[in-house]
Amino acid sequence: MSLLEIEKITKSYQDGTEKQQVLDEVSLKVDGGEVVAIVGPSGSGKSTLLSIAGMLLSPDRGIVRIGGTEESSLPKKEWAKERRERIGFVFQSHHLLPYLNSEEQLTLFQEKRKQKKVSALELLKELDVESCIRKYPANMSGGEKQRVAIARAFINDPDIILADEPTASLDAKRGRQAVEMIRNEAKKRGKAAVVVTHDERILDLIDKIYPLENGKLML
Amino acid sequence: MQSGGITLKQAWKELVYGKKKYILIELLLVLLMFMVLFLSGLAEGLGRAVSSGIEDMDADYYLLDDSAEDLITVSSLNEDVPEKVKKQTTALTAPLDIQRMYLVKEGEAEKLNVTYFAIEPDSFIEPAVMDGVGLADSDVPDPIILDDDFLLEGIALGDTVYDSSSDIPFTVTGFAKDQMYGHVSIGFISTDTYAKIRKRLSPMYTKMYHAVAIKGDDIENIGIEGTEVISKEDIISSIPSYTAEHLTITMIVWVLIVISAVIIGIFHYILTLQKRKQFGIMKALGMSMGRLVFLVISEVAMLSVSASVISLVLAFGMAGALPETMPFYLETSNAVAVVTAFVLISIFSSILSILNISRIDPITAIGGGEE
Ligand SMILES: Nc1ncnc2c1ncn2[C@@H]1O[C@H](COP(=O)(O)OP(=O)(O)O)[C@@H](O)[C@H]1O
Ligand SMILES: [Mg+2]
Repeated sequence: MSLLEIEKITKSYQDGTEKQQVLDEVSLKVDGGEVVAIVGPSGSGKSTLLSIAGMLLSPDRGIVRIGGTEESSLPKKEWAKERRERIGFVFQSHHLLPYLNSEEQLTLFQEKRKQKKVSALELLKELDVESCIRKYPANMSGGEKQRVAIARAFINDPDIILADEPTASLDAKRGRQAVEMIRNEAKKRGKAAVVVTHDERILDLIDKIYPLENGKLML
Repeated sequence: MQSGGITLKQAWKELVYGKKKYILIELLLVLLMFMVLFLSGLAEGLGRAVSSGIEDMDADYYLLDDSAEDLITVSSLNEDVPEKVKKQTTALTAPLDIQRMYLVKEGEAEKLNVTYFAIEPDSFIEPAVMDGVGLADSDVPDPIILDDDFLLEGIALGDTVYDSSSDIPFTVTGFAKDQMYGHVSIGFISTDTYAKIRKRLSPMYTKMYHAVAIKGDDIENIGIEGTEVISKEDIISSIPSYTAEHLTITMIVWVLIVISAVIIGIFHYILTLQKRKQFGIMKALGMSMGRLVFLVISEVAMLSVSASVISLVLAFGMAGALPETMPFYLETSNAVAVVTAFVLISIFSSILSILNISRIDPITAIGGGEE
């Protein structure tokens, strides 16, 4: 079963008096354990697509299904809960909270009933940042911070992982490590992962690559 | 709240992380609250200098003549009124006269301000003496119980003092704590002594009373032509200058409370503006608005509650160190009311921050690079 299904999504922004069509009937399916990449030049609509899949932005038309649930028909006030329970985000920069240590970065967002299923310690171990468990972001390297952020994305056992240019703030080696870790965790835990990137050196880690051009996804 | 524990911890950690900022805010709040408590103690103290004689008097109502406009000193009741009142109620009753005069110490010329409270010895409105004996327990002809401030004038138990207008001598048989009326210390004398003074001053004097004090709530059936029953609160607020002074200082106190609370609100709002990005991320990661509201309120509450506790300790510590003559009177219940109001208003003023956070679009977490 596809954990993420996007069906004929259309989105345009009002740009002054003109309407700018960013997505034109885009469809995409990602299965559990599958890692796909969306590539394309800056401004091609990658972040817009990811925001729509991530319940942060509503499309003009089209359907988003996550884990079989039709998310796009849910009222906006339920979106936060859907994001919390079904979606793991990895952003361009780590976006950790400065006043929490690594373990707390994870447990702060962990749902009570998910505590049995996933442990923060286990995730930090798998991402090789066990030594940072009591450390604060100010005392960690860029790579370590991004790995804690990746661990955070998995803490609530979500259906899908959405990563928007996760390598952008890292050097080549660390960037590659970060994508490797997203890939490993997604495979191990059977999550559907979507990575937006224009870093071609990591594309060998990706199962399917979708270029986004003129508002359309090509394969 | 499901994750209340975690949110409280988060609030605490955030305050600790930003301790440089928050300690400054805390300092400001402690100073403001201390000033508020100090002023409120002064307000109460000054108020008591006007009214403590009535406030501490063990009566609930006073019967006055109905043209007196709640002022005991201008009321006048016929001699038979106290007996009539007694028959109309099961409550305790006792006649009371209040008269502003001067005392002179033996062998001295200086006149000391005094307000006589003329009462029947042993009636329930006689104050407890902290030193000496009550009016009924002494065998001198004209005993007087003085407010303890007279101790500072060098008057002692057993001394003789004179009423300056009639030259009638009193023997000081006791001192009572904190008995003031209209900024003047009280001397309690017997109704008979008082009548003696009046007769000496005007031979035509016929016995009258200013008021009848009533202890108890059985006042429904009291009905005497030309009189009315007035509550203790109304009597106190009608004492000349009481309302004007009390209201002014009380208003300053409340304005300061509101200002301090709003200062917290504004500071927190500014810090919230600086943290909009963080809030956007927390929202993107699915943290509910309810938890964010709880986070903001816990931070503000921690700041204001701790400022309250510190300033309470300071205020009560200072109250103990103040000289006796300073009209400072800080009651625990009053102080607690002041800080509670402050905490509540500051929590209310965090609405500013909450509204701002509620308007942050979580999409700001995505595509941070383009900003
Ligand atoms: N909120 C918005 N309002 C108007 N135009 C927008 C908005 N967000 C993005 N755009 C425009 O939509 C296009 C796609 O943006 P984006 O999805 O961020 O592309 P990418 O992530 O591929 O760089 C860009 O031309 C951008 O200027
Ligand atoms: Mg982008």
